[in-house]
Amino acid sequence: MDHEQSLIQRAQKGDQDAFASLVDEHQRYIYNLAFRVLKDENEALDLAQETFVRAWTALPNFRGQSQFRTWLYRIVTNLCYNRLPNLRRSLNDLGDDVIEEIPETKIDNPAHEFESGETRAHLYKAIDELGSNYKLLITLRYQHELSYEEIASTLNLPLGTIKTGIFRAKEQLRKSLAHLEESWISP
Amino acid sequence: MDKPLKQDASIEDALKSQPLASMPRSITADVMARIQTVEAKRPAILTWSDFGLSFVIASCVAALWFTSQHLPPILLAKLRIQGILLYQDFLVNSRWLVPAAMFGLAAFLAAMTIPILIKMTIDRRR
Repeated sequence: MDHEQSLIQRAQKGDQDAFASLVDEHQRYIYNLAFRVLKDENEALDLAQETFVRAWTALPNFRGQSQFRTWLYRIVTNLCYNRLPNLRRSLNDLGDDVIEEIPETKIDNPAHEFESGETRAHLYKAIDELGSNYKLLITLRYQHELSYEEIASTLNLPLGTIKTGIFRAKEQLRKSLAHLEESWISP
Repeated sequence: MDKPLKQDASIEDALKSQPLASMPRSITADVMARIQTVEAKRPAILTWSDFGLSFVIASCVAALWFTSQHLPPILLAKLRIQGILLYQDFLVNSRWLVPAAMFGLAAFLAAMTIPILIKMTIDRRR
């Protein structure tokens, strides 16, 4: 992190090599988030580039109040809002009816939890088919490992909305899994 | 493990184990090329129109000063009388404007400084 801090400080002073190192380090995560939300390789690449160009322009204003990557997530999310005008509205419309803590199931041995590779593949497909609003939330939560509070701060949404969104995304996945299991019982 | 728990575990594991999307290519070179363009396009701090505007304002001020120095004494006296009359009229009929203007100025200064003070406080806490 100290190394990153020094890269940021150098980049803030106009050192383009330092900024290139930051791009190298974070591009995969930024691209991943854009790709999950936009579902298009070229658009995601374009958006990731735009994110870093904007980050360069706004870098003098970065005060380190959040992590650099979280700051980049905020930029890429805002750009996603521009590309998908309904995304912001669909996130706001989630409401915040799930206010209790969402328990996360502990898995001692993940390999045993899958009856077959088919289940895993089915779930990956179901995740890909989720709406962009749910994809944004679960990508930030599970792939980028942000806390609920960090997601709420990044997306500038109430904490309850984040919890509701993730809860509903999981509900959809549960339904999809139930369909798969039904298809096993009644072929 | 009962069925709903098993389902939850499967979902949780799928969510956590999904790999990051692989990038078709690195974008570092493209980003740096675009940054060079942005830097090249960035306007200078002072432009020619700024110099032009400054010249016009300075000329107006100079013309006003030059004119005031060469006015006939009778016209100067008349202007002074008009000024005094206007000031008296203001004192008699529009005195309420003084506190209003003071409050307005105070509100403007507060609006300018309070956000900066808040930001300084936050920065100091960090």
